[in-house]
Amino acid sequence: MTESPADFIVSEINAGIFMLDRQYRVLLWNRFMAQHSDLDAETVIGRNLFELFPDLPQKWLVKKIDSVFVLKNFAFTSWEQRPYLFRFRHNRPITGGIDYMRQNFTFMPMRNAQGEVEAVVVTLLDATDSAIYQTMMQAAMRKLEESSNRDGLTGVFNRRYIDTRIFDEIQRIGRYQAAPFSVVLLDLDHFKRINDTYGHLAGDEVLREVARRVLPGLREPDVFGRYGGEEFILILPQTDLEGARSAAERIRFAIGAEAIVCGEQHIQVTASLGVASFLPPFSSAAEVTQAADEALYQSKHNGRNRVSVYPAQQSQTG
Amino acid sequence: MNDQLLLTPDQRDALQEVTNIAMGQAGAQLAQILEVFVQLSVPRINITESSSIATSILQLVGTPQSVTAVRQAFSGTLRGEAMVVYDQNGCRDLADLMGYEDDIDRDSERELLLDVGNVLVGACLNGIAELLGAKLSFSAPTIMAEDVEVGRLINPQQLTWNYALLVEVHFTLEVRDFTCHLMTLMPEESIVALKSALDAFMENL
Repeated sequence: MTESPADFIVSEINAGIFMLDRQYRVLLWNRFMAQHSDLDAETVIGRNLFELFPDLPQKWLVKKIDSVFVLKNFAFTSWEQRPYLFRFRHNRPITGGIDYMRQNFTFMPMRNAQGEVEAVVVTLLDATDSAIYQTMMQAAMRKLEESSNRDGLTGVFNRRYIDTRIFDEIQRIGRYQAAPFSVVLLDLDHFKRINDTYGHLAGDEVLREVARRVLPGLREPDVFGRYGGEEFILILPQTDLEGARSAAERIRFAIGAEAIVCGEQHIQVTASLGVASFLPPFSSAAEVTQAADEALYQSKHNGRNRVSVYPAQQSQTG
Repeated sequence: MNDQLLLTPDQRDALQEVTNIAMGQAGAQLAQILEVFVQLSVPRINITESSSIATSILQLVGTPQSVTAVRQAFSGTLRGEAMVVYDQNGCRDLADLMGYEDDIDRDSERELLLDVGNVLVGACLNGIAELLGAKLSFSAPTIMAEDVEVGRLINPQQLTWNYALLVEVHFTLEVRDFTCHLMTLMPEESIVALKSALDAFMENL
């Protein structure tokens, strides 16, 4: 007896096809599934899918399959969110760099003459190649993004990036009720005088050295960037006002501890800092940076080389 | 507008009737899946011009806010795309109802948006299609936008159609903090197909 073309295709196609009844028993298991699972059709047909593959996320998958029976609806899973359901080997064992075959699934309702869903047909497409390309592309994108997020002179983050990070932090607070973050604005004192006295090249070196002195003292989640001119900004996630104030004090000390050596010149540099926390009633990035800016103005006004916080409290003198 | 695209008052009533019935069924089916009662609004039906689609969506959502949306294409007798627009809370509150057992990370959160979107779209559109004797198949849903201002969900410059039929349904869950909008968009040629399906539906009444 010769196979029908449809049977031949289902059996031989280079994609997984299987079929389940209402009790999740296997009704059909094609060659691809047999080959990759090392379980042939005779072994699996009639048996419960979850007994055959105890690793499957049963609760979630049962919901999914049930929704196809109840809604007479298609359902899907994508490797991008859930890399695989079955631990199958893939065809790039040497060059792949990933563990198991990446899998896209489609669940389709198969109806009988009365329109009732009798079985769910599941197709599995091997998405390993796309996954590998996407991983490569993401790595390239990250590099590209990295380079456009940086301030060309100092190598710290630029204003554009800082602004998006503040926005992200605000979103995170809204979404996860995360602890508030704080913002520190830092302005070098009498920077114009440094430029005028020692020249712009020296001024540039001072900016680079300030960045080098600030960075080692930061925690991993902190984000430090140049906000423009001689102004820097620091975002401290999950940090209250007091924590941010002591971080600002350490930075102030690190900047002013020793003169910056620039060729033959020894340039003494100090900074004024302003600190604000993102707390109610603040709702935007502009409000919290504005508050930090007001505190920074207080530091300048009270004699520079100091840290002030918003709302105004007693100022700390260096 | 081309008169061919306008629904006659009878067709409009029939469509309203069909969508009402379908949403009733969808609510019952969703309750079976989610094991909670889902409230569906009376569907709102509009023909919208591509240039004003952003305003239409904004009006249906009600307030300018940041939203996350999933899109899914359907084809067959009727062709178009369905969008499920979630508010800022997305659907994390539904995780356990959809069979997620652990704390969910970013990827599971996205998968959940897609899962919930797929179920809502399927429940509503299959019901409409069945009543109209139309055959539909669906492609996999994808994330359309995350945390985007609702007026910017669709860029009118990228659209290749002039007029589309827009059907909107609003879902809420009584026991959970969850709300979302399902918007089904069908371009011109599908409106014509829908009109004849509605005529056939009325003849069979």
